[in-house]
Amino acid sequence: MPAPDKDRLELLQGTLDMLILKTLLFGPAHGHGITTSIRQSTGEALVVEHGSLYPALHRLQRDGFIAAKWEKAPDRNREFKYYRLTAAGRRQLIQQQSKWDALVRAIGSVMNPAAEG
Amino acid sequence: MLRRLVQRFTSRPAPSDDEIARELRDHLDLDAESLASSGNAPSSDARFAARQRFGNVSGVGEAVHDVWHWTWVEQLAQDVRHGARALIRGPAYSVATVMTLAMGIGAAAAMYSFSDAIHTPFPRLPQDKLLWITFSNASCTPDCTEVSPPGLMALSSRAPALTPIGVSGWNPALRTAGGSELVRGYQVSPKTFEVIGAPFALGHGFPAGAAVQNGASVAVLSYEFWHDRFAASRGLLDSVITLDGKAYTVMGVLDKDVIFPEAADVYAPLVLTAASAAQYGARYLQVFARRADGARLATARAEVQTIGAQLAREAPRSDSGWVMAARPIADYHTDDLAILIRISGIAALLVFLAACMSAANLALSRIAARRHELALRSALGVRRWRLARHLLTEALLLSLVAGVIGTVLARWGAHAIRDAIPPNFAVFVPGWVRLGVTPRTLVFAFGAAVAAMFAFASLPVLRATRVDLSAVLSDGGRASTGGVQGTRTRATLIVLEVSIALVLLTAATLFTRSVRNMIAGDAGVRIDHTLVMPVTVPQSLNDSAAVDFYRRLDENLRMEPGVRAAGMATTTPLSNNFSGVNFAIPGRAPEPGGRGLSAIDQHVTPGYAPAAGVRVVSGRMLDAHDAAGAGHAIVVNQMMADAMWPHGNAVGQTVIIDTTAWTVVGVSANVHHGGLDEPMRYTVYRSLSQAPLHEGALAVWTVGDPDAMRDSIRRVVARTDPSVAVGEMMTMEAMRARHVSAFSMMAGMLAVLAVVTMTIATVGLYGLIAYGVAQRTREIGVRIALGARPRDIVAQISGSAVRLTMIGVAIGVAGAAVFARLLTAMLYGVSASDPRTYVGASLGLVVVALTAAVVPSWRASRVDPTVALRD
Repeated sequence: MPAPDKDRLELLQGTLDMLILKTLLFGPAHGHGITTSIRQSTGEALVVEHGSLYPALHRLQRDGFIAAKWEKAPDRNREFKYYRLTAAGRRQLIQQQSKWDALVRAIGSVMNPAAEG
Repeated sequence: MLRRLVQRFTSRPAPSDDEIARELRDHLDLDAESLASSGNAPSSDARFAARQRFGNVSGVGEAVHDVWHWTWVEQLAQDVRHGARALIRGPAYSVATVMTLAMGIGAAAAMYSFSDAIHTPFPRLPQDKLLWITFSNASCTPDCTEVSPPGLMALSSRAPALTPIGVSGWNPALRTAGGSELVRGYQVSPKTFEVIGAPFALGHGFPAGAAVQNGASVAVLSYEFWHDRFAASRGLLDSVITLDGKAYTVMGVLDKDVIFPEAADVYAPLVLTAASAAQYGARYLQVFARRADGARLATARAEVQTIGAQLAREAPRSDSGWVMAARPIADYHTDDLAILIRISGIAALLVFLAACMSAANLALSRIAARRHELALRSALGVRRWRLARHLLTEALLLSLVAGVIGTVLARWGAHAIRDAIPPNFAVFVPGWVRLGVTPRTLVFAFGAAVAAMFAFASLPVLRATRVDLSAVLSDGGRASTGGVQGTRTRATLIVLEVSIALVLLTAATLFTRSVRNMIAGDAGVRIDHTLVMPVTVPQSLNDSAAVDFYRRLDENLRMEPGVRAAGMATTTPLSNNFSGVNFAIPGRAPEPGGRGLSAIDQHVTPGYAPAAGVRVVSGRMLDAHDAAGAGHAIVVNQMMADAMWPHGNAVGQTVIIDTTAWTVVGVSANVHHGGLDEPMRYTVYRSLSQAPLHEGALAVWTVGDPDAMRDSIRRVVARTDPSVAVGEMMTMEAMRARHVSAFSMMAGMLAVLAVVTMTIATVGLYGLIAYGVAQRTREIGVRIALGARPRDIVAQISGSAVRLTMIGVAIGVAGAAVFARLLTAMLYGVSASDPRTYVGASLGLVVVALTAAVVPSWRASRVDPTVALRD
């Protein structure tokens, strides 16, 4: 197992599901694609562990928030398991995002009272 | 939660494990590609780097699998399947473990049912509500427990937390068609059956009210008596039976198995007269009580204690120094057996421990043999907890099978214990007849099986989950020795097993020798061809009529074919039923401590000494000339003669009893009237004609089998006088068995447990040595190649076995010494620290251990160096 990088951030408990749903909002992706996407969009700050990613994907699939299908990749002649957002997943994302926003505001007001005015 | 449950069972099918594996593999491929394309590594290394970055692939696969499945149920089923398969693949191990554990569980469960049966002597009564109230003083504990009438009255009126009842032993003569017969009975407080909550098969208890108080004659019968003597006739209810010449109306018949306080035939109301209210010193009532509903045990106890203190103040002359206590009613029966239960409990626990140790040992060697497999599985990413659970499941399967077999063994053992005791002894222990496997025993056996599982599996599991991968794998799979530490653990277990075996072997030997001493011991009388029985002459006959009856009975019996001699006495040898008489010797200095002299008082007919086999040492025995008008003659036993007249001139001396002078006409051999293990006592014999009595015992010396004479003796007594009652007949052999049987049963039980433990320990030792030889084949081959002689190899290997055994023996001797101290009270003619026993048991154990070690040692000496080194 690679040594954890000092500059890397730890994912907050329960946020991985939301990140996956958000990533899939832009279109279907396979597991590797999702990791890459999250890593790049956070500027390498967040690296999703495989040990967390795959159980999370399957949990979301099991609960009906995402669906999976084996499909040919556009750039090569090979099938990968692609995940895409379902209608329930979309609703779940909206719900989670609004909760998250509320949480960030609340924590912000404690940590930075001056900024809030 | 509910939605999830529904979803699990509806549309979304779980991906197969292959599919999950493929998805993860794809991820690795993509990772490798991106690493290669970023130029960080050449493509061959990139895959490896990706693999490394990913970590435990199969672990992630399992985690994903877990998302979809009821994993614990599934894994359990899988573990059970795997376990069962693995166990069937290694049948030798499984059978050895199951049998070992079964013996341990069986021994523990049998002992449990033994102690459980004894602790519930009143299965048909609300035992937890009932108390036994004792009144005792430090100098006579534990023999005195009875309460006086004023004591019972005080409990009735001053203790709101309980309702007491009094019980007094009563052996009335029942008039039958063929004569009279003594039956076992109790006189009990009129409200007894309501208080103890006894169920009735027929009718009811004594009616309340004045009728009983005035001594109206009513009786209640036990189910067994009603069944055996009256053929369970329903017409007996409200009809009349004759007891001691008086009419009693049968009011009811108790239900089956209602025993109170001991097995009895008949109950009548106990009548306390107004005068008895002042008889403080007359302690003859066993008192039991029922705790009032809602009253706490502590409250009842405190009240009883207070009343005891009040009695001591009210009647300081008789009751000062006496203490009243409330105890669980089961104590009434278990008091005498407590030590028996404790010894057998400890013995069973030891066997159980030895069995668990032995099973742990077997499991450790199996782990050692499967070390490679376990290391590989661990390396392949099977999580440790999973491995541990796997091993525990195996252990549980074995334990449960062992539990079932153990229960069968326990049933067999409990029945063997039950049957080892003659019925006339079992009567004193009401729980005895029900000894067997009860639901409670089953629960216990199951609990023991689970306990055994944890006890024997924990060491191996710890060991297995701490497998050092590199060490095992780099060994090339050959020398999977389990390491020095593993061997040391196993050796320690063997040493402890050997020491437990020695503890039990020593105890069993001590007991066996004690029993042998008892049987060989001289009771002072003939044991074979002799029948004894209680005989009661009705009070309506006066003394001279009674004496005349005894004379005629002696004569009539002597003329009966098959009878050699017959005679009456106050009591019989080995009966444990005797009373003392105070005597004085003219001119003798007062005894130290001011205590008076007393002797067992035997009033005998001339036929008694030849009938019972009492030997005359000097002078003569009493005969027909010692009639009512003749000079007062007395015979003393050897012990008394030696103590009173040490110069051997007893005959002709004088003994004073109640101011009457008796002349010593003879000295008899010593006779045990109590147990064989009890000290001998002074005894005097006087002529029944000169000292008449109405209750006594008849001894008959028969030509053939004494049991065959029962009916004709009964007939002769009835012919001589139909109003004279005969009680239960017993051969002297049965009398002796009554004393010895508890001890011989204990000896047998300990012997069986000792052999079981020895077997377990020996098999363990054999296993350890054989295993060691197998592991060291190469080393032994080298040594033989270098010129070691087979003898050296045998000596070396056997030597290590002997060393282990000797350590075990050393610990065992110390343990046995501690255990034997508990046995002291039950030993006869052998000391608890008897060196011969200890040396013998130790030697025996060493020899057995050596035998177990010789076979593998010999095999080691035959190792062919060329084969051993090539492998």
